[in-house]
Amino acid sequence: MRLWDIAWKDLKTFLRGRTRVVFSILMPIILMIMLGFIFPKAGGSYGGSIGVYSKDLIFNSKVEKSLSNTAASKMIFYNSRQDLINALASGKIVIGAIIPKDFSLSVALNRSVAMDVIPSPANPQAGIMMSQMLVGVFGSEGTKNTKRNVVKSKLVNADGTAFNYYDFTVPGLMAMIAIMSVMTGLASSITRERELGTLDGIMVTPISRGSIVIGKILAQSIRGIATAMVILVVSWLFFGVKFTGTSLLWTIFLLLLSTFSFIGVGVMFTAAMKDQETAMISMTTITFPMMFFSGVFFPIQQMPKIMQYIAYIFPLTYAADALRKVITLNVGWNFIWMDVVVLICFTVVTSAIATVSFQKLTQD
Amino acid sequence: MNTKKAIVVKGLKKYFKKVKAVDGISFEVKYGELFALLGQNGAGKSTTIRVLTNLAVPTDGYIEVAGYDLLKDPTNVRRNIGLVAEKVILYNDLTAMENIKFFSRLYGIKDSISEERAKEFLKLFDIWTFKDMLISKMSTGMRQKVNLARALVPDPKIIFLDEPTLGLDPVSTKHIRDFIVGLREEGRTIVYTTHVLHDVELMNVDEVAIMSEGKIISKGTLKEIKKHFKKAEIVEMETDETLAKDKIKGKILIQEGGYLKVEVEDIGEFLRDVAKLNIQIRSFKTLEPSLEDVYVELSEGSDNNVEKGMRNTLNEEVK
Ligand SMILES: Nc1ncnc2c1ncn2[C@@H]1O[C@H](COP(=O)(O)OP(=O)(O)OP(=O)(O)O)[C@@H](O)[C@H]1O
Ligand SMILES: [Mg+2]
Repeated sequence: MRLWDIAWKDLKTFLRGRTRVVFSILMPIILMIMLGFIFPKAGGSYGGSIGVYSKDLIFNSKVEKSLSNTAASKMIFYNSRQDLINALASGKIVIGAIIPKDFSLSVALNRSVAMDVIPSPANPQAGIMMSQMLVGVFGSEGTKNTKRNVVKSKLVNADGTAFNYYDFTVPGLMAMIAIMSVMTGLASSITRERELGTLDGIMVTPISRGSIVIGKILAQSIRGIATAMVILVVSWLFFGVKFTGTSLLWTIFLLLLSTFSFIGVGVMFTAAMKDQETAMISMTTITFPMMFFSGVFFPIQQMPKIMQYIAYIFPLTYAADALRKVITLNVGWNFIWMDVVVLICFTVVTSAIATVSFQKLTQD
Repeated sequence: MNTKKAIVVKGLKKYFKKVKAVDGISFEVKYGELFALLGQNGAGKSTTIRVLTNLAVPTDGYIEVAGYDLLKDPTNVRRNIGLVAEKVILYNDLTAMENIKFFSRLYGIKDSISEERAKEFLKLFDIWTFKDMLISKMSTGMRQKVNLARALVPDPKIIFLDEPTLGLDPVSTKHIRDFIVGLREEGRTIVYTTHVLHDVELMNVDEVAIMSEGKIISKGTLKEIKKHFKKAEIVEMETDETLAKDKIKGKILIQEGGYLKVEVEDIGEFLRDVAKLNIQIRSFKTLEPSLEDVYVELSEGSDNNVEKGMRNTLNEEVK
């Protein structure tokens, strides 16, 4: 049958590219292993300190006195909402509970009362679980005959709006999509020019090999900026992500930095690949696992230790972390400088390697 | 400039793993010369061009282009060269003019200047009206003309042309051939590769190197190469029947049915022999040895099918 001839030709040509075949075997293996191991067995355990900012003066003294030692040792009291948020941003606490003024009174009167709980943007799973625990702990501190569900917790963002899972994933997704579009753009732009022969046309001119790479990077960065803008608008319109002036600037800066940080890797890969298809497959082999490793969908803190170390290899991890802090907690430089430094180092190192490898690999 | 030679190649080798694409060739090209690299498919012509234009790293050998050591000073070499490769070097999504301007900029040429020069070439090629047409919409012939303009607008001293007439009709081929001859007249140095012997003869190249299996098997001016054959004469003859090989005295160069091309020592004796056969002769002429005969002679022992293939291209060309 003719259609079989077409299919056979496609398979045969695919098998001719050795790198292509290797990567397409590697990809599912890497993916399966990763997906099998990043999730903790049986739900995992949630640990970490709890931050409390109490507007209720009676609550403080009462809790300090009566809480069992283990629970109290995990609790850190803060004097303002901002201190609580800063502690969340620096990772000192996993959740921040805000106790309302009339908390003790309400509990005493058996009146239902809600406390706001801000989960750590890096680990909302833990936040959600621990806020349940808090309800039990604080609820039992009332009179003996307190109704069980008198204390409620409300998951909120730093700005007081209701928390949902998007708030955790959107920042990571932004970085991810920006990186992906740049990487695929680079992959096809270099390999396509190689296949067409126009790369030769550029390389016989006096322009240096380095300038060719930097020029390509520049084009992809501009593409990355455009993509980032689309992402910003979409997350604002459809996901209710709110920006303040500074968080918007930080977001743009971080999106740019994360695309830059990945361009070098993109060049290295594509320079080594002779054709478009191989470039695409090898790109997917790194970007796809990265998506899971970098805590975009699943908090790194909940992964097994070894997987956590692997997660810190990927620049996306830092980009997603910084973006989440900026977007959900609206904090700035003091809390993201480490992420920024890592991203810049990564950018410089990979770009340097890329320039060198491009120079070597374009001459065969 | 420390030499008067445009190109000096000494012991150039380029191996791809086990394939010896270029296997120790040496030649020199003077400024203002039209130099032809002639060879069958796979002889190593394109590989040689790629090495000389800094697109491929040689396995071994010394190369000097435009007075600069290619390995030590590639940038200066690239400043002085232009390339028309086997693949057309143009972006499909850009127009003719945009392509030319882009590549000229890489040489540091301003748009106003490249536009001016492009106009000259495109007018000469009769495609000026298509200057704003996307390359993707152009025919092969038009593309190749734009491609030539693209290589020439930066005004390179040395131009490498790798089979620039491939896939073109006889009229366009002639057009481009004449144009290249014109470039030499302007004093440019040209390295031209082809598998079409006819081209080399028609363009009256200054020097030709015949490549086969990565080696140069013969080199010299057209005259020098042909001189080897001067002692004999070439007879081209058409008869009604195929002549039996053992009845012909002389060296058969081509025999295809009634068509015979033969190199003979004594033409009188040959004619007497043919007369004895008592067959109808349709045409008969004696020729100076053409480069094709030289080529067949030289590459004797190498793949016969390739030679036949070449003859066929030649015949098509003549038709
Ligand atoms: N990238 C490559 N990898 C491996 N072998 C190659 C490569 N490029 C060329 N070759 C081999 O080198 C030899 C010379 O090829 P080249 O293209 O130089 O020949 P050519 O004289 O230009 O032929 P043509 O007239 O067909 O264009 C051939 O045997 C070819 O298979
Ligand atoms: Mg070739």
